[in-house]
Amino acid sequence: MSLGATFLPPFPVSHKHLSLPIKGNKTEILISSYEDRFLVIATQIGTMGTILHARKEEGMPINPTFNVSVIFGKRDEQMLEACARQLIEHMSSSGSSKPLVLSLGLKDHSTETLKAIVSAVIDNRLW
Amino acid sequence: MDSKKLEEEIKDFRLREEAASTSQSRREDHGAEHDAELQITCFSEVLNDVTFHFQIIRFPKQIYVWIGCNSAKFGHMYAAAPTRPNNMVSATSILGGSSDNTGSGIARRLVLKTGLNIILACSIPKNNPMLEADAEKLLIQKLISLGYTKSRREGKSL
Repeated sequence: MSLGATFLPPFPVSHKHLSLPIKGNKTEILISSYEDRFLVIATQIGTMGTILHARKEEGMPINPTFNVSVIFGKRDEQMLEACARQLIEHMSSSGSSKPLVLSLGLKDHSTETLKAIVSAVIDNRLW
Repeated sequence: MDSKKLEEEIKDFRLREEAASTSQSRREDHGAEHDAELQITCFSEVLNDVTFHFQIIRFPKQIYVWIGCNSAKFGHMYAAAPTRPNNMVSATSILGGSSDNTGSGIARRLVLKTGLNIILACSIPKNNPMLEADAEKLLIQKLISLGYTKSRREGKSL
């Protein structure tokens, strides 16, 4: 199906959407792959919550270091930064250098919840 | 439980199809009446020889929009929300620096139209108000057709 006579390329951004319960809370996870970033959204509260940005530092092919920062929302929740850090490291070791925008709107910031989110995202990764 | 699994598998299959489709595609998440319900709409349109790509994700109390202009670059991110006490809209750039605020105007006007918090990622090149206006027009048309905009009779209580 095409719109009129114009040929449209396939939609360039692929995404995955899943829903799973974590500690009894329904969690929606969305992973989206853009040309120069990955976006991961995990929400239990109906909004995007706190948004973090994680990237690999340039110029260090072996033992890369990563920079994680909160760009919107709670800035004193280390568990959220840890979650972003885990994901960016996994992305990097899978060969992708794209930065990550991670959005977490969670009801609790326990280790259990964040581990579950990290493993759900990794299981459904687009990298 | 079984039907839910089946639903998930069908959704997964549809997702793969979607990534390969060449025209408007729309997904609705018919999850429970829970708070966390997402509606994802992805579509592309060509206007004046420019291909715009839109990704709209509707959360219960927020909307995330990505606008791509001939590319799939993520672009700059803006957050905008209505603020008390008199329904003024505040917008800020959250990723990409503030020297280029292509998109912050769009974010602002989306808040006015929808009454919800908006997160906008937009890769429209700067210094090109025509592109901005075109993108915004297409986006607003779509939001109206999806029913995300405020109607006159319902105000958004803040």
